[in-house]
Amino acid sequence: MVYEFRYLAPKTAAELAATLDDVKSDGKLLAGGTDLIPNIRNGMLKPRVVVDIKKYEGAGRLAFGSDGLTMGPAVTINDLLRSKDARERYPVLCSCAHELASHQIRNRATVAGNVVNASPCSDMAPALLCLGARAVLRSATGERVVPFSQFFAGVKKTVLAQGEFLSMIVVPAESAGTSGNYLKLKRIAGHDLGIVGVLMTRQDGRIRFGVSSAAPTPVLVDTVSEKDDPDEAARKVLAAVLPISDVRGTKEYREHMIGVYARRLFTEVK
Amino acid sequence: MKIRLTVNGLAYERDCAEHKTLLRFLREDLGLIGTKEGCGMGECGACTVILNGRAVNSCMVLAVEADGAAIATIEGEASGPSLSDIQKAFQRNHAVQCGFCTAGMVMSVKELLSTTPGPSVDQVKDAIEGNFCRCTGYTQIIEAVMELTGHPETKGELEHV
Repeated sequence: MVYEFRYLAPKTAAELAATLDDVKSDGKLLAGGTDLIPNIRNGMLKPRVVVDIKKYEGAGRLAFGSDGLTMGPAVTINDLLRSKDARERYPVLCSCAHELASHQIRNRATVAGNVVNASPCSDMAPALLCLGARAVLRSATGERVVPFSQFFAGVKKTVLAQGEFLSMIVVPAESAGTSGNYLKLKRIAGHDLGIVGVLMTRQDGRIRFGVSSAAPTPVLVDTVSEKDDPDEAARKVLAAVLPISDVRGTKEYREHMIGVYARRLFTEVK
Repeated sequence: MKIRLTVNGLAYERDCAEHKTLLRFLREDLGLIGTKEGCGMGECGACTVILNGRAVNSCMVLAVEADGAAIATIEGEASGPSLSDIQKAFQRNHAVQCGFCTAGMVMSVKELLSTTPGPSVDQVKDAIEGNFCRCTGYTQIIEAVMELTGHPETKGELEHV
């Protein structure tokens, strides 16, 4: 790359927090790099310092405990897919993970990066929203916990303040075993950004929809009930989204396909 | 920044600019020009190398991130004039035309076979979905992998375009 920056790789979480406090808006966090590095290359971002979040102890930890599933910020999409426990206990998380980009990118891209990036077309966000997951945000001054339902603030915007980093994703133990499926509409069969993505989950009669690429942020819909018919379910999902027309598809096409997917999932997901 | 890494079994220690991608480092600093730059944006997979056992786009990894890593590139495949098994299978099955995607394609296949010695056609397609080939239509590449892994019966089932 022609553009030059400094690279720092803190070795502890406390050192990372102190570094972020120090570099302020001059710094950018580097996780998988699959968004950051191309964006620096094409001139969209010009950080003076790139701070690697992967090198501190525990950053790559994926564990199951009484809290549920916890993932550090360096856990990649393929780390999740390779975990037998994750596939068995949180199949919904894995069906979204598998739809994300290509194999090489899944080897590098992180679950945390996919949500912190806050793209409307995030594939992991629908699963984390439907499973009631929480984000642990850490900074030099402390820690706070934010449910993903309150995490996204707009296109490419989150509630993360300057100096804060996402230190852990917690997927609650109560949502283990949730069934569901994610349907993603793409221009090509291989890897691509979504035109729309619709996830439906079902657990103990509770139905949730997570929708990507359909509004400024990923959307959670929890108004659909067992008693609805497929058309009513689709109507409720559509009422919660606000698609736009862009290079990948028109507003009308997106609305149509969200309806198609919502009806199909409502019938198929048991 | 000083980095130490192993490439195709050889240990290197180099001073490296912190903003340099692993792809540029391999090509410009180590002279390993078998790995190609296609899009430079993680779309095409021409720059695929194996980093600590995993196929990655080397255009989206900083060389300094790979400090301490073990890397495999296409240069590690052939031994003198003798091609590797994957390369021979590509040759037998006409899986190479212009050759620009081949280095990356071989590395993706190598990672697949290291974890899944007998993949299905769908598993092969999954493994190479991030590698663009604009010549072969992919069919011969998939056939090369299936033949190598002992499923030559797949030949003829795949649609040639």
